[in-house]
Amino acid sequence: MKTTVGILAAAFALFGLAAPSAAHHSFAVEYDKEKPVQGTGVISKVEWTNPHMRVYIDCTDEKGVVTTWNLELGSPNSVIRRGWKPSDLKQGAKISFKGFGGRKVLTRAAADVLTLADGRSFAGASGAPDGTPEQYGVGAGVPIP
Amino acid sequence: MRNAVLGFIAIIAVSLAVSARGQNAQQRQGQRTAPQGQAQGGAPSPQSEQGRLPARLSGEFTPLAKPDIANGPVPRMPDGHPDLSGPWVGGGSNSDIEKDGGLKPGELPLLPWAKQLRESRKEEDEPYLYCTPMSVPRVNPYPWRFVQSVTANGLGTIYVIHENGDAGGVRKIFMDGRKHPPADELLPTWWGHSIGRWEGDTLVIDTVGYNDKFWFDSRGTPHTTQLHTIERWTRTNFGTMINEFTLDDPGALEHPVQLKFTAHAQPPGSELMEFICTENNQYGVAADIPNIYREKGYGLEVQPPTQK
Repeated sequence: MKTTVGILAAAFALFGLAAPSAAHHSFAVEYDKEKPVQGTGVISKVEWTNPHMRVYIDCTDEKGVVTTWNLELGSPNSVIRRGWKPSDLKQGAKISFKGFGGRKVLTRAAADVLTLADGRSFAGASGAPDGTPEQYGVGAGVPIP
Repeated sequence: MRNAVLGFIAIIAVSLAVSARGQNAQQRQGQRTAPQGQAQGGAPSPQSEQGRLPARLSGEFTPLAKPDIANGPVPRMPDGHPDLSGPWVGGGSNSDIEKDGGLKPGELPLLPWAKQLRESRKEEDEPYLYCTPMSVPRVNPYPWRFVQSVTANGLGTIYVIHENGDAGGVRKIFMDGRKHPPADELLPTWWGHSIGRWEGDTLVIDTVGYNDKFWFDSRGTPHTTQLHTIERWTRTNFGTMINEFTLDDPGALEHPVQLKFTAHAQPPGSELMEFICTENNQYGVAADIPNIYREKGYGLEVQPPTQK
């Protein structure tokens, strides 16, 4: 845990010297910044695959209806260079997410922030001014009005 | 040939060994110098963020060498030539070759048909999104290397390896003094036929034989199989390599044009990682974007007048 935090700290500190940039493609083509989404659920599948890694999250609403969100991240290489480890994302683990819904399929979203049950939050610590927590609420995977 | 292959393998082996050794050093260095690095702000990004969604989790991230290392001297090969091996990030076009290359809007002298084609193209239809090679002078957010091989006969072929963007085709730059094959013997390919030479400390690469299937940028700037490029790569310090780029295409441009790009070095010890683009490419599904190439393949959507 301590090591992870250290590596993450180093990665975030390096952020200012990195070449952050649009991924394999422009996200505006597929995802809508006017459709912020968020939710809390359980990781049902993690794909450390190219060109983008994906985290599938099952969110259950108050009626017991399960929605599976397909969250797109950067490339696995990029995510690892940020300081993540494959063991940080485990199937069955509780997780919260914030992101932007697909233009046509809302549940296929571009991930912005992932927060694990132990409080570790990925991406938000980069200090980027966008996507502040105030923009999001807490829920079961719904569009933010 | 056998020597060239052995040389190539040797270079790769050395790179891997250096990488493995450098990995720990890189982590230590990152921790020790973190506050300083943060205060110094970002190195120039080769890609424009304008008009794009916040690039965080869903964006890409490739660390660059911090200024005190980047401003250091140019490393050299045993034969005295500059070591151009990198890894590098950037050094070419991405969102708009005109702007990325230092021209003002409208200065790229596209012929009318080419301008029309560029305007008709949609960013969502970039062939690159379907994991085709990005070709020259395109770059993406991932690192790449020149691999300068040495054989029993001296300087060998220089290979260009991109973490993502080769799509299985390794670009080769022949350094043995050969000429381009006659035009009627050249099968147009994604990476064309490249011959290189050293002019002092500058690596000059002359390439013909490109196909017309790739875009220079996500804006859709087109070219034809008459494309001829001359790259003049000069490493000016540890962290910086300039690409003085001559773009010539009598089929698409009124006259040749001179562009300039800058590549930035990754921290010492960095290495390319595996990237198999077609592994799980779900591009387009979230926005219901059709693959317009599925039935007709890649290539010019409109034939230039001279080739009708």
